[in-house]
Amino acid sequence: MSEIDENQIHDRLKRLSQIEPAQDATSRAMQQVRDTLTKQQEEHPRVAASKPTALGMAERDKAIPKLRLRLPPGAIKLAAAAVVLIAAGFVAGRLSGPSPMDVEELRAELEASLKSSLEPTIRRSVLDEADRRWQSVFAAGCAQLKEELAQQVRRDLTQFAAQSLVASGTQTQQQLRELIQLIEAARIQDRRNVEAALEHIESQFGNGLMTLAARTNELQGPE
Amino acid sequence: MSGRHEELLAYLDKSGAELFTLLTRLTLRQDVAEELMQDLFIKLSRSSGPNHKAGTWDAYARKAAINLAFDWRRGRKHAPLQQLEQVPEPVSNDNSPLGGLIHSEELQETLDAIGRLKKASREALIRRYIQQESYEHIAEQMGTTSHRVRAICSRAVNHLRVALGSNHRQST
Repeated sequence: MSEIDENQIHDRLKRLSQIEPAQDATSRAMQQVRDTLTKQQEEHPRVAASKPTALGMAERDKAIPKLRLRLPPGAIKLAAAAVVLIAAGFVAGRLSGPSPMDVEELRAELEASLKSSLEPTIRRSVLDEADRRWQSVFAAGCAQLKEELAQQVRRDLTQFAAQSLVASGTQTQQQLRELIQLIEAARIQDRRNVEAALEHIESQFGNGLMTLAARTNELQGPE
Repeated sequence: MSGRHEELLAYLDKSGAELFTLLTRLTLRQDVAEELMQDLFIKLSRSSGPNHKAGTWDAYARKAAINLAFDWRRGRKHAPLQQLEQVPEPVSNDNSPLGGLIHSEELQETLDAIGRLKKASREALIRRYIQQESYEHIAEQMGTTSHRVRAICSRAVNHLRVALGSNHRQST
């Protein structure tokens, strides 16, 4: 905050102190006051004169200084300060102290407090219970479903295996039968070929073999 | 005539001029000071507050005069504007019209700032710096010590510096 120089303040105050009213104005003002006081005194002489006696002001004027003399200086200020402090303390105590109990208000506050404190807990427990039940139901359903699925798979595999075995056996028998027929046919064919060869050999080399056998026997005989 | 009336007249003869000067310095208007002077002595005549000691009369009268002057200043702010020809010439020691106007404006501003002080600060400041009374005399009439009066005056001057400084900054 800006301030002006202290000398300027003193200068202004000095200028104020140098103001002097005109002498005639001063005289006029004092004369007017004197006239007013005199007129006022003339208009109400009886009141002014009788007032102290009637009201006992002379007695009171004597009594008041005595009373004031008994009190130490500043006692009234101290008493006033004490009264103000006591009043302030009383007001502060009333403001800061507990107010009278109101049952309805207390019930409403308690209800609101309980509601605010219990509602989340209850909601959470209900949700947890629902989750737990759903999980147990889901787990049971899941196990049953798994069991059924396994049984179904097992049944299907068994049936498929049986069908495969049947089909495989039939096909194998068919193939074995065909193989047997082929082998039989091949053997018959070989036998015919051997028979034909033998017949050819017999026809071509029958005499020579007999001769060879005779000579062989002859050679081996002397030994 | 009652004793009280005689005391009042005696006090008027003794201190009337000083009180009129005080009222003139605080209002900067002689006509207003004349009216307030009458109001002051009517108030003194009707009051039962001060006892008959001269010093107590004087302290009470000066305090009442200061309060009357600043009550008038506060009421003047809310009063409707007067016609230009009805505005009397303000009191000024400067002969130059412009200088007188500037000085008068500064003095009005200073008196307005003094009017915003606390009553004790205002009274001590006025009696010390405007009425040029001694610290001891002020302390005796205010019922305190001269040391405390010095402190009150110092704080009052600091408050004036702040108040007039802010006004000065706004005007510039």
